[in-house]
Amino acid sequence: MIKTFGLSASLALTCLLSTSPLATALAQGLTCTQPIKVLAQPRDGLTLLENYQDEFKQLSGTTFQIDYLNENDRRAKSRADASTVGNYNVYYVDEANVALFASSDWIVPLTDYYPAEYDFADFDPGRQKVATYNDKVWFAPLTGGGDLMVYRKDLLEAAGVTPPTTLEEFEAAVVKLTDADNGIYGIALRGARGSGANVWRWMPYFKANGGEWFVDGKPAFNSEAAVKATETYLELFKYSPPGTQTGSWDESVGSFLSGQVALLVESTPLAGMAVDPNNSLVVDSVGFLPPPAPLPGGGYGHGLAIATKANADETAKQCAGLFVAWATSKEQEQRRLEAYQFGELNRTSIITSQMFADIYGPALGEALAATGKVTAVNFWQDARWPDLGDRWGIILEELINGTRTDVKGSLDELEAYANELLTQ
Amino acid sequence: MLSKTSLPKVFTIPTVAILLVLSMVPTVFAVIIALQNRVLGQPAMDFVWLSNFIDLFSDRRFLNAVWVSVKWEFVTVIATMTVAIVLGVLMFQYASPRMRNFYCLLFIVPVLLPRVSAAFVWKFAFHPLYGIVTYPIRAITGKPVDLLGNANAALYVVATVDVWQWGLLFAVIVLKLLETLPPQPLEAAQLDHARGWQVHYYITLPMLRAPLISLTFVKMIESLRSFDLIYVMTRGGPGVATETLDMYAFSQGFIEAGKVSYASSMAVLMMVATVVIFTILWKRVQ
Repeated sequence: MIKTFGLSASLALTCLLSTSPLATALAQGLTCTQPIKVLAQPRDGLTLLENYQDEFKQLSGTTFQIDYLNENDRRAKSRADASTVGNYNVYYVDEANVALFASSDWIVPLTDYYPAEYDFADFDPGRQKVATYNDKVWFAPLTGGGDLMVYRKDLLEAAGVTPPTTLEEFEAAVVKLTDADNGIYGIALRGARGSGANVWRWMPYFKANGGEWFVDGKPAFNSEAAVKATETYLELFKYSPPGTQTGSWDESVGSFLSGQVALLVESTPLAGMAVDPNNSLVVDSVGFLPPPAPLPGGGYGHGLAIATKANADETAKQCAGLFVAWATSKEQEQRRLEAYQFGELNRTSIITSQMFADIYGPALGEALAATGKVTAVNFWQDARWPDLGDRWGIILEELINGTRTDVKGSLDELEAYANELLTQ
Repeated sequence: MLSKTSLPKVFTIPTVAILLVLSMVPTVFAVIIALQNRVLGQPAMDFVWLSNFIDLFSDRRFLNAVWVSVKWEFVTVIATMTVAIVLGVLMFQYASPRMRNFYCLLFIVPVLLPRVSAAFVWKFAFHPLYGIVTYPIRAITGKPVDLLGNANAALYVVATVDVWQWGLLFAVIVLKLLETLPPQPLEAAQLDHARGWQVHYYITLPMLRAPLISLTFVKMIESLRSFDLIYVMTRGGPGVATETLDMYAFSQGFIEAGKVSYASSMAVLMMVATVVIFTILWKRVQ
């Protein structure tokens, strides 16, 4: 599927650079003296960006340094840094903590410092929505999207299973496709604690069962829908590979890419990895569909935001804004497309380009379009969400690993904690 | 006479003052924060006095963390000292001087590895599907075993890594201590046809009582600082099965809730308990 596009890629990049905002930014006369310090989590797009240090130096007069931590550590450290010393000029934030960072004034509204020529409006509307809180945009997307169901055509064909389109069919297929003795598992789920880990994958089941976080303004976390969703999630976990019970994205996606899993509903970057021979052992047998109905996709977005504390004056904020704009520019996305970094593409102009269609084929494009229609924001968009989501994550991890068995009692505990949070 | 008595004070007072400032300032600050209701990101705060401490005793995760910490302390200290003494005695008894040097070099390597690197290496070694440690179980039973995902086993698996690092280092120290002992009592015991284990049980180890107790105390303190190892290998999971006090405090302060005062109250309680317990133990040992 993936081909080499050397000549066409170079031409496309040349065209983009010729209309580049870099020259415009240079003309603005903004000179930055302090290196831009960025706290991020590992992303292929950022690694690629580091190859273009000289370009940024020419543009801004300074360099940048990116410190990487995995998701949970990045969240913990950025929270600690933003609320205390403020060492970093740019934070990598995500849908789960943008409300907290914005309401705590740890980051500034992005569009105030995002140079217009970098065309923020070109970002996918769904991602713009996730980056928006209280009617203001707070970060420029680096990755985002919803969920896709990725499946192994060969395994389904051998078992006489048609790709499931409903949750009922999906559950039946998961059971039928599991052959643990031969190292094949029907599904892979996330067991590790965290609002962005096990809770993230649990939420579509909650929403599919009609779950709402609040009913008549009161928390409804221990509703019938929550109980049913949890029971379904725990039941499906019986067919998930060993290691995923305490694992997250890496473990479940790794299991699929190494050929151990038949069906996987995961965030959209998985699709690009599944068809990349450098990442996947199942390149030739992968199919894509939207998540089985009525599972909604988990709309998400990660990106770069301008820190408040480390950028004490307007010039510093402009420099940080210039870095964010440059790092998320069309030029960078074009480079990511050429490097087959599917999960790092966020701009409409790139996703709808001919090169994208040529590389990834029509099936993935159709699946992405279809899943866009069922993608929703499943989590509670509030500064208190990380606290509540992480609390549920730990309880859910206990249920998954059998140190707890009382589903209703566990959700009652969550409900009590939610009430406590709301009264604070 | 005056200069004779005041000179020690001249030298010690500045040093003691610096030490006091370095140790007392963060301690006093931690106590003050523990008496407040500070939350990261919220500028408003009040003194709530002992409220955080009272809340701790109705917090199931805190009580669990206390129990896990106690288990961790017992398991790692006892296992480390056992491994150290057994290996130290075996090397002393059976290895030639050249082999002893080789073993010493080999046994020091684990503790030279950065703790986080060691934790990552072992985490992968225990992986149910790819791990080299779990491979024999997979080969024999045909089924993968997830030891780090097992609530009953996870703490002991992580403790194994801790013992691998510190037990082997302590074995080298025990060997070197044995080599410093005067040979006469050992030769006398051999003339009396004492067996190898009797020589060590009745003579060498009692002679090394004081340094072995010191090593035990060192390990007890070191075991209180195993946050990095546990965090990398299990993050306190599965569930809260390996969540120690320091990990729960960090989690409340920085990962989940941003409740730095609540986290600080745990740290203060842990500090007080540690000082009291260590003082009692030290006095009893003396």
